[in-house]
Amino acid sequence: MSTEGDRSGGGEDDRVLVAEFALGLLRPGEHEQVARRIGAEPALRRELGIWQSHLSTLDDQFLESPAPAGVYERVAARLFPTPPRAAWWNSLLLWRGLAAAGLAVAVIAVGIDLVPRPAVTGPELVAALEAQGSDVKLIAFYDAKAGTVRLATVSGAAVPGKDFELWAIKGKNAPVSMGVIAVDTKNNVSMPETMKNGIDPGTVLAVTLEQKGGSPTGAPQGPIVAAGAATAI
Amino acid sequence: MSQSTAEIDDLIARTALRDRAAFRDLYQRTSAKLFGVTLRILKDRSEAEEALQEVYVKVWQRADRYAAGAYSPISWLVAIARNHSLDVLRARKPVADDIDDATLEIADGSPDPEAAAIGRSERGRIDDCLAGLEDDKAEAVRGAYLDGFSYEELATRFSVPLNTMRTWLRRSLIKLRECLTQ
Repeated sequence: MSTEGDRSGGGEDDRVLVAEFALGLLRPGEHEQVARRIGAEPALRRELGIWQSHLSTLDDQFLESPAPAGVYERVAARLFPTPPRAAWWNSLLLWRGLAAAGLAVAVIAVGIDLVPRPAVTGPELVAALEAQGSDVKLIAFYDAKAGTVRLATVSGAAVPGKDFELWAIKGKNAPVSMGVIAVDTKNNVSMPETMKNGIDPGTVLAVTLEQKGGSPTGAPQGPIVAAGAATAI
Repeated sequence: MSQSTAEIDDLIARTALRDRAAFRDLYQRTSAKLFGVTLRILKDRSEAEEALQEVYVKVWQRADRYAAGAYSPISWLVAIARNHSLDVLRARKPVADDIDDATLEIADGSPDPEAAAIGRSERGRIDDCLAGLEDDKAEAVRGAYLDGFSYEELATRFSVPLNTMRTWLRRSLIKLRECLTQ
């Protein structure tokens, strides 16, 4: 191995070796060996530079081909991992997003006939339930007088072997289960014992994907597929 | 430097400053080119897609080592994509030697400014020099660079014994090297 780094770009053998390295023709093992030598010998580095600059003028011949969807998202997920989250129902971001969505939904709720038009007596709330990256979208209508939440599916399908579970979250309290719901039919969910005071504007309704029969622990375990804050109408 | 070259130069510089929006723009502007590279060399869409992901992770990690002006920014990106794809090809074969990543990055580094200047001022020279070789030998050099063909694959494609291909190509590289710096 040469100790004087800057002989002359190496002898002819070295020149060929660097050219083969630049083209990627060397076998595994040999390639790494030459990489080490190039790292140690400026003359070889210079030689490599000459090949790289000339060969790179062939780069025009690589034709563009649109990258498949989702690659950037995976790169970003690797490089910029989100810090470990507190329980999602404490996420400020979720709440902010939901407040805005809730306002827009009243009109839709009326449009799909979820809201009874005849005289209403108790307070009534509506919520649009959705989440980024999920195609499950529901609209919830809360009738305080009846003590029920009615749900209509806007989009989403049942998942084999799993159940969707509805939760209500008031303020910073832990989610209270309102039971397993079906996404392919309308649901009429009665308020559970622990929610006898009903829900208020700002209460978040969320749907998670749980094991068959719902979360066994009484706390959500699966991913959130849709959520929305209740808004008065 | 063309306008789009200057813009990509700028996006890489901002990426080096950890500007995520610039990195995203850079991805949008260059991913089709780099996917073209990984796809051509790996010849398998799902492998090429996975490689593309690794390539942009490297681009983010190494953007601060990009020396503007020493190398066309697209060539710098192509070199990362090409070298990564070749690494994937090599990894398919049994590897006897392990080596730290830092050493291999030499292959992706910008050439020294002097050498780069030679390349820039003589753009197209490699085409002239390749034209001076016999057709199939020039084709073999292009196949190695653009398709990542190994000596074995080239020998098969040109229907010659492996050792013949080796001798051929080495002689061609010597001729090419002489021509390039004449």
